[in-house]
Amino acid sequence: MRATRRLTDNFTGSYAADSSAALSSPSVRTEPYISEATVQAPLLSCEAVEKRYGEFRPVLMGLDLAIRRGEFVLVQGAAGSGKSVLLRLLAGLERPSAGAIKIAGEDLARMRPRALTHLRRSMGILPPGDSLLRGRSVVENVALAAWVAGSTFEEGVRRARAALELVGLDAERFAAASCAALASGERQCAALARALVNRPALLLLDDLLGALDEATAARVIGVLDQFSAAGVTVVAAMRSGAAGLTLSDSMWPARTRILRLLDGKVAQ
Amino acid sequence: MSYTTSHVSALREALRRTLGRPIEFGLVVASSATMLAALALIALTLWRALPLEQPQWMRPQALVLAAGAQGEIDLAAVQTALRRVAIVASADFLARDAALAELAQRKSLSAIGLTDLRPNPLPDAFLVRFVPGAAPEAVESAVAEMRKVKNVESVEYQPELYRRISLLSQLAGRICLLLAAPLGAALIIGVSLAASLWIRIDQDEVQVLNLLGADPSIMRRPYVYAGAVSLLLAAALAWWMVVEASAWLEPLIGTAAQQYALRWAPAELPIWAGALFCLGAALLGALLGWLAARLAIGR
Repeated sequence: MRATRRLTDNFTGSYAADSSAALSSPSVRTEPYISEATVQAPLLSCEAVEKRYGEFRPVLMGLDLAIRRGEFVLVQGAAGSGKSVLLRLLAGLERPSAGAIKIAGEDLARMRPRALTHLRRSMGILPPGDSLLRGRSVVENVALAAWVAGSTFEEGVRRARAALELVGLDAERFAAASCAALASGERQCAALARALVNRPALLLLDDLLGALDEATAARVIGVLDQFSAAGVTVVAAMRSGAAGLTLSDSMWPARTRILRLLDGKVAQ
Repeated sequence: MSYTTSHVSALREALRRTLGRPIEFGLVVASSATMLAALALIALTLWRALPLEQPQWMRPQALVLAAGAQGEIDLAAVQTALRRVAIVASADFLARDAALAELAQRKSLSAIGLTDLRPNPLPDAFLVRFVPGAAPEAVESAVAEMRKVKNVESVEYQPELYRRISLLSQLAGRICLLLAAPLGAALIIGVSLAASLWIRIDQDEVQVLNLLGADPSIMRRPYVYAGAVSLLLAAALAWWMVVEASAWLEPLIGTAAQQYALRWAPAELPIWAGALFCLGAALLGALLGWLAARLAIGR
């Protein structure tokens, strides 16, 4: 709970004040709202993090990493390089075999499960693959994150519609549609809308552009850039050689920090 | 209260998940109802045949005859001595004059001139009742002790009869337990497995909710309601089965009980008992749903 409050409280003075505007309108201010001192403090840090599964070789080995508030980080690597594992560790969904992961100075391994659960409400997580629930409509899928975080039914739906518009899906057209009826790229966008709907302080996006065409990818990157500029920390993972990386460099924010993972380590 | 944390929302979600799989839901309800009905019938039969207070014919008793013919004796002292014997529940005095008057009222005995007998040939007696459920050996030992009490002429007790009743009672109890225990276990295991199965089917949803930071208690809630709703419906169905089965068997059992001079107390099944039965089953279902969800979501 303490870490949750700290993560959110620090954030409230910066982005959250204009957060409803950020969701209801795609034109978010691109100038950072937060002070330089706040930006300099690492929001996320990994200290000698190691992750191994059973007797197999470690997926991550001695990973040291510090990510500041409002940073846009692109984790890049081949299949099996440990990108998804790193994001799961950052989300507190798994625990490292060795080392420490801290969010806002709080060691995730020492947090109680309930506090971790609450912490995840201030994160926007995009898991790899198709994570939408087939039995629910698009708007229900997106609003679910808001409802879980405590929004009323109407508020959740309103924010879900705004988030859908933000990622380029026509809320009127897609709201009532079943997720099974969407194309893979549309599903990816809807899942991203679900990650954005709670106005998170931290976005952890795995396989971000996996199912997107070039135009949609460019739009999504633009939206994320706006969020990042508004103080949201963005950590996105992408496979080396994936379509998104062939986009021209100008499509990525100039301040994007690229981390290349190779055999469980950050390549120099 | 937010949408997902409200109980109405959880109930709606439970109904969506259960009614969304009508075949599985129907099977769970039907099998649970059959087991509940069997359990209820066993309990009902036991209740009607052997109520909590054992009937008189099942309780061991002995007739203690006092040595009245030898002159005046201290009956109160005899009664006190009898009451002091272990496992004696009561020792009621039967006065010889009252016994004679009772006998004289019987037509068959008055016809042979019993009422003309003088003086009264009957002894004073005590009807001694032992504590219900006492072991036959203990009763026999107590009877032997009573025979040694001063001014007791004889003690009439049929050890074989009580041994048979005791044996039959134990046998009936164990048979019912043998039937009820596996049925109860099957009911609990069945409902728990059904709840676990639903959670496994909904694993995607559970994972997504976990990812979004949903409270485990809120994730469990629909399964708690699903368990309660399933067993509530099963109990209602089971109660209907019990009512129908009772109506079908009642005349036969009543006739048989009359023929063999056994106690059988037919009674209408009150509505409140049915409501209580359904409520109990719903609570059991909620508990099983909660346990299954706690185990499955915890993993």
